[in-house]
Amino acid sequence: MVEYHSIQQRGFHNTYDEAGNINGFEFRFVPIYYKGYWFTQCRFGNVVVDGEVFDRDGLIFEYDGLEYSREELFDLNRYWQFREPLIIKARKPGGLSIGYHEVALQFGWVMNYNGGPELEADGSGLGNTIFPTDHKRRMLLCR
Amino acid sequence: MEKGHPQRGISVYSYEVLLGKTMTLEDCFLEMYDTGATCFELLTSYIENYPNPTTKWVDNYWRLCEKYNLRPAELGHWCENHLHRGPALSDDEIVEQLKQDFRLANLLGFRSLRTKITCVNDLCDPEPGWQRYIEKALPWAEKYDVRMQNEVHGPTTLHTPHIRDEYLDFIRRTGTQHFGFNIDFGTFQTKAAKGLEWMDMGFDDPTLPEEIVEFLPYSWTCHAKFTNMTEDFEETTIPYREVIKQIVDHGWNGNLISEYEGPIRFTAESSPESFGRAMDEIPEQIRRHQIMMRNLLGY
Repeated sequence: MVEYHSIQQRGFHNTYDEAGNINGFEFRFVPIYYKGYWFTQCRFGNVVVDGEVFDRDGLIFEYDGLEYSREELFDLNRYWQFREPLIIKARKPGGLSIGYHEVALQFGWVMNYNGGPELEADGSGLGNTIFPTDHKRRMLLCR
Repeated sequence: MEKGHPQRGISVYSYEVLLGKTMTLEDCFLEMYDTGATCFELLTSYIENYPNPTTKWVDNYWRLCEKYNLRPAELGHWCENHLHRGPALSDDEIVEQLKQDFRLANLLGFRSLRTKITCVNDLCDPEPGWQRYIEKALPWAEKYDVRMQNEVHGPTTLHTPHIRDEYLDFIRRTGTQHFGFNIDFGTFQTKAAKGLEWMDMGFDDPTLPEEIVEFLPYSWTCHAKFTNMTEDFEETTIPYREVIKQIVDHGWNGNLISEYEGPIRFTAESSPESFGRAMDEIPEQIRRHQIMMRNLLGY
């Protein structure tokens, strides 16, 4: 079971390197949609935390225990299971402070119905979904 | 003509807002059992580890069917060809995807498929060339004993040109028994649903109830779409009484699957209050709809 929000507070924490130093943060994302996707049809935008932009090409996406870059996801012929969280990691030495943060993410996908064909067939955009692509949540970070 | 005896069913899609958040698949089965429905629709996305479910999952699925006395009616799947950057999939690649879903449908006991073919606009005009790969897939559909059904979904009507010019023409040319129509009752909708006034679905020119008759021989499962059920078990936007009279009077024995698409699905995640309302409203709307269908069908 996941939370009803798309951006999950459960799993929101700073990350640590092997020496125990905070090197970034991560959170989990579950699309608000009635079906799953092939990763190849997914389109990710930047993560923004309290106004600080984390470029989409610097993000790490973890699914089923394996890490991928945005570029690698374009070739990942795996099905993103319905209601299965994708872990999104951002690099930030020192991490986020303990307390409340406004976390935002853009996510879209290529639909094959309900509208016209994808306009950015090179994958540069957010696909052609007719559903909202902006996700945002205020979350409390404890560690 | 002998009266038809459609089977009452429910699409698990109707619970999708709650599925995996407050309801398990078994919770959906229990809800469906409570309504007296005898069959159901599943979507491929709700098959755990799709497209390769574990034996354990499949065994549990059949346990649920047996425990709640529910028969698999239709598997909703997608025939998508724009899944990668750049060019679309080749016909053979699409056929491989279709075969994979046919095998799964067969494994899980589904004889109907709702096959979503790639469309190019709001009216669901199919992308040119669909006939090539669907025709190539027909022998496989026959082998796995499944019937692909294009969904006629508002604002598409049964008099939208592509229905006759493309789909019906294809069925008649090939003589196939493995391609047809899932007629979504939203195509009969005459006005916007309460809370969905912004959604323009061509309500000034809907499919008329009598238009369905010509298409019944090519339909095995229909979506009994609804958006707003009142407390006295009436759907406020779709002429159910007339549509069901047509299909019963013309001897149709297919699956009539409740498919809920009320306004709550657009707002459920906007606040704790809204999600809480969805937790009550969605199962209740589905129960009301099943009672309406029972009243209209007499069973």
